[in-house]
Formats: sequence, C-alpha cells, structure tokens
Amino acid sequence: MKTGTPKHTWNHQTLAPWFFLAIPLLMYMTWVIVPIIQSMFFSLTDRDSILFQRQFVGLGNFIRLATDPTFHLALQNNLFWMISFVLVPIPVGLAIAMFFNQDYPGARWFKTAFFIPMTLSYAVIGTIWAWIYQPDFGALNTLLRSVGLDTLARQWLGDRRYMTGALIVVGIWRQVPYVMILYVAGLKNVPSELIEASMIDWASWWQRFTNVVLPMLRPATVVAVTISIIDSLRAFDIIYVMTNTKARAAEVLASYMYSSAFTFQDYGYGSAIAVIQFLITLGFILIYVNNTLKSEEKL
Amino acid sequence: MKKVLTLILAVLVAASVFAGGGQQASGQQELIINSYMSDQAPKEAFEALVADFESKNPTIKVTVNTTAHEQFKTLLPNWLTSRQAPDVVTWFAGYRMQAFAQRGQLEPISRAFPGNTFQDSFPEAFVRASSFNNEIYFLPQSWYWWAVYYNTEVFDNLGLEIPKTWDDFLAVSEVMKQNGIAPIAIGARDTWTAGGWFDYLNSAINGMDFHVQLTSGQVPYTDPRVQKTFETFADLQTRGYIMPNATSYSWQEAATLLFNGQAGMYLMGQFIKDVAPAEVRDKIDFFHFPSFGLPGYAVDTPIDGFMVPANARNKDAAMKFMAYLATPEAQALFTVPLGRLAANKNVPPPNDDARRGLEMVLGAEGAMQFYDRDAPEEMAARGMDALLEAMQNPGRIPQILATLDQDRVRIHRD
Repeated sequence: MKTGTPKHTWNHQTLAPWFFLAIPLLMYMTWVIVPIIQSMFFSLTDRDSILFQRQFVGLGNFIRLATDPTFHLALQNNLFWMISFVLVPIPVGLAIAMFFNQDYPGARWFKTAFFIPMTLSYAVIGTIWAWIYQPDFGALNTLLRSVGLDTLARQWLGDRRYMTGALIVVGIWRQVPYVMILYVAGLKNVPSELIEASMIDWASWWQRFTNVVLPMLRPATVVAVTISIIDSLRAFDIIYVMTNTKARAAEVLASYMYSSAFTFQDYGYGSAIAVIQFLITLGFILIYVNNTLKSEEKL
Repeated sequence: MKKVLTLILAVLVAASVFAGGGQQASGQQELIINSYMSDQAPKEAFEALVADFESKNPTIKVTVNTTAHEQFKTLLPNWLTSRQAPDVVTWFAGYRMQAFAQRGQLEPISRAFPGNTFQDSFPEAFVRASSFNNEIYFLPQSWYWWAVYYNTEVFDNLGLEIPKTWDDFLAVSEVMKQNGIAPIAIGARDTWTAGGWFDYLNSAINGMDFHVQLTSGQVPYTDPRVQKTFETFADLQTRGYIMPNATSYSWQEAATLLFNGQAGMYLMGQFIKDVAPAEVRDKIDFFHFPSFGLPGYAVDTPIDGFMVPANARNKDAAMKFMAYLATPEAQALFTVPLGRLAANKNVPPPNDDARRGLEMVLGAEGAMQFYDRDAPEEMAARGMDALLEAMQNPGRIPQILATLDQDRVRIHRD
C-alpha cells in the first residue's frame, strides 16, 4: 500500500498554463532577456568590436566610467532628475487630485484639462517647449519681459547652467497629471465611512488628511514614487528632442549611452553605461514589484 | 464573397512584392544606392543624375533610399557590416572614408578606372583623400569651400571694407556692434558650426602644419597654442561680437539673421546659398578668413562623394555607376545646379562665385577637410562642444582643454 504525498504528475491541469505561456515566454526570452545578457557581454568588449572582431577588455569600460567626467555629469544630472521627480510631481499631483476630488461644478472638466499633457508624446512636448523657451520670441521670456522681469530672461536651452533645470521642468509638467490620476484613483478607494467617522470626532481638515487620507493613500504613493523614479531614469526623449544630444551639459545616462553607442560606434562603452543604468533601474523596479506583490497578498 | 475578393487581392499584392524582391526580368539588374541627400536642392540634382544614368544603362534599375543626414551617419556602420549591404553609399573623403577602409568594409573602385583615368580626372590632393594604402575607395563628386559670408548691404550702409587682417576684422565688428547689428552670426545649437571657427582660427593663428598635427592627434590640446585659439574665439563673445543667444539657434535660423541684415557676417560653407531666399541671394557674398600675419593660409574644402561597400551585392553595376559619376558630364549635372565645384578637374566652375572660391582654394598652402573629417568623429564632437563651452566660460579654458586632452589620448590610442 502506497502512502505519503501523491507523486507529481503531468496532467491537463499542470500543463495547460505552460502551454499558454510558451509563446509569450519564448518571445520575452528572445526580445528582452537575451539582449540584456548580450549587452552585459558587449560591455566587456572594446569600442566597435561588435561590428568587427571582438576584443575583450575585461572591466576596462567600467574603469573608464569611473574616471569619465561626462559620465559623472550624466549621473549627477540623473540624480537631479530623480530628486525633482519625487519632490515636485508627488505633492503637486496629490494636491490637484484632492482639490478635484470634491464635488463642484466643472471638476470633471478641470480633471480632463490637467490630464491632457499625458496624452502628448514626448517628441511633441519637447518641440512645443523648445518654442516656449526660445530666448528672443519664446513665450517664457516674453512673459518675463512683459511684467518687467527682463533680468530673469535667459537662454534656457542654450546656457549650460540652466539646460538641465529647464528640461526637468518639462518632464515635471508631463509627470504631474500622471501622479494626479494615480491619486484620483486612490482617493476613490478611501472609504467614506472613515471620513464621516473622523468628522463626527471633530477632527480638523489637517488631522483628517494626515491621519486618515494619507495612510489610506499609501499604496498609491508607493506606486507614484517608484513610477516617477523609474520615469526620471528613462528621461531621454525630451533631452534628445530639445538639445539634439549634442550639448554635453544636459547629458543623462540614457542620452550618453545613445551617443556613445550609436553616434560614435563605441558599442562596448555604450553597453557599459546601459548596464549601470539597468542595475540602478532594476533596484527600483524590485522595490516596486516587491511592494505590489505584498499588497496583492493582503487582498 | 467580399472576403474571398480581399484574400485574392492580398495574395496578389504579396506575390508581386515577392516577385519584385527576388526574380528580375531577364537581364535586368538592380542597383541600390543609400543617400544622405535629403535637402530639396541636392536631392533633386541627384535624382536628375540617376535618371540620366538609367537612360544610358537601360539594363540597370536604380533604387535610391534617402535618409536624413544625421541618421545616415548612425546607420552607415550597420549597413556596411550587413550581409545585404547597399551597392553604393554617399560619404565623405579623408579620415571618414579611411575609418571604414581600414576595417576592410569597402570595395576598391580602381577596376572601374582602367589605366590612369582616375588620376587624370581628379587633382592629386583628391586622389590622396580618396585612397587608403594605395587603393582607391572613394569617388569624389563635389566639393565646396568655407569662408566668411557677409551681407553686402550691411557693409555698404556702414561704409565698411572687407577685413584682411584680424585687427581689421575686430574693427569692422566693432562698427557693426555700435550700429546695433550683430557682427557675427553663428547657429551654435548645431555644434558643428563651431568646427569652422576651430579650423580657421587654429590654422590662421598656428599654421597649417600645426593644425594637421593637432587633428591627427599628435599634439596635446593642452598646448598653449591651442589655448590661444580657444581664447581668441571666447574673446569674440566677451567683446559682444557674437550674436546674442547664439547657442539657441540652428544654423539655418542664424542664417536668416544674416539674410535680413540683423547680422553682418557668418563663417559657413558654400551651402549657405542653398537656404538663401532668391531675393537676398545676390546680397550675400564671401571673403577669405582674416589673417593673423602668417604668410600662407589654409581653407576648409570638404569633398563629398560615393563608396562601394565590400558586401555590395551588385558590384558590377556599382562599378559602372562609379565610372559614370567620374565623367565630366555627370559631375556637371550635379554640381552646376548647386553652384558647387566638381571634383573632376575638367569641369569648369559653374558660376562666378565658384570661380572665386576655386581661386581662393588654389592660392592656399593647404586644404582642410573640416574638423569632423580630419579628426575622428568623436574627437571632433568633443572639440566643438569644448569650443562652445569656452565661449560661455572663458575663465575655464585650461580645465576644458585638460578634459579634452584626456579624450584625445583615449580616442587616438591606436
């Protein structure tokens, strides 16, 4: 007589999911996993050796990264993007969402208006903002001059000191509505009983916000922060469209990777930059995935 | 029924596509040319040239794939390594061609020129710029010159003379500045516009030989002579002679300022005339870059032309096309409408401008190809960016040059 756990058998129940997953998995392997591994491998090769005979340089490309001032600048700019993307769009997006969460005439209309930047592609946004920033007849400097602030008018995209800042403003302009939508959805999930209970207890608006609403919005905040950080690391389109990636002052990891690999055919070095960017992004993605899995378990 | 019809139609379309890609009609050959001539004027001139070639070679069908200039530069290395390479590609002479020739990615084109026909058709300097290790890999088609283009109306109104020396140039600039006209237009959002300034200033201040040594990577950028070049350029900005907000303008946008008289002078290639509106074209003239007192002078004269990839599939047709392109008739067909100079020495200059351009070049002690053709592309890109950074931060020039020299050591290491 046999005892113990039943032996694992292949039947319809266990095979079916693999059958359905087979094609997507295969495609994922071919188009995502294999290229990632390939880039890691390329990052150990010299200059344009992908196209010609392959020459291993070990960690040579990474050693060069450590002393490359342009790479340091790109890292610094990326950090600047990241910090700005957390500090500005999150509170502003939340404030707008809170504001429009109340019922009053036109709230829906305003919500839509605020959402519109999200629907535009980065290329379009970059082109429009390049006009706004045009130093001689662009909207921004014209506005500054019309209110007597001539001294504040700048070459926003032509002066190395302001370039990155000007680009981040554009990124934020696009990011705020995204965060707003996340919070609008989050606010819908705050049970009205809790709000009513806090009102019965005579909690002030601020107490209600910090002790009831904000804790209930924790999942939305985690998503908003991680998505914003990942978006800040992806910043490339705006920079490419607005600066031609020729001026090194605004360089970030993605644009430096692009110009190294594709403009100057230094595929080894470009791959090394890509690997670093991958590792940084992966860290944040793991935090994000981990958090989503946890909240799913709770449900 | 409708579905059946759609299906039949789809199959027919697909079949015709396959037939087009595979089987050719008997004796028909296909010649695939990848071209960067995306601007209207050169594109039309090239189309006329291709049509003429087809009429002379009825068995060859030419397909031209045009890609915008900047994208073309990115894609070319991939095409050249692909097993399905195009048969002919447009490109630049000198270093930019050699970079591919030394990797064995180009097909020598000598067999299209039996005997000494190549050497007889082109000036010796062009033969050199088209060769690598005693083999010819490049077919020169047209060339042009860089010079200081100026608005004659501005000069006439202010009673200005064409400056011969750098001091004259500064004096002329000062007068324009006092009269509310930007002396020097430069669309420095396109960093390559700084490349012309780098070439002309460096060769005029330090001589042609030094310039050649520098661009070939033999002299450090920290050399005091290079510093002088950078300081001289930054000085123009400090004096307020460079148009305001220059780094926010593309090269064409800055040209508009020259055309309508808001700016007086613009160091540019002859192609500035391609973008000049017809009514101002005659008001725009050029003069040679001012002298710093050295006896000779150098000129920027980039040569454009064609190459055959080593992996080309139809090399016979490609060679026929090369032989055709070298003929005086074919060279004139392309260069005359554009007002450029033909590489073939048997084609006379197409107009008065070109005649004066040619004279200026013939009187020079040496010809440069342009910074990003004389030096590796990455080196030039970093150098031009550095020059613009120096313009905005004159106080940091020693640090800027120190960083630039680290790049030189790395890029020129082999």
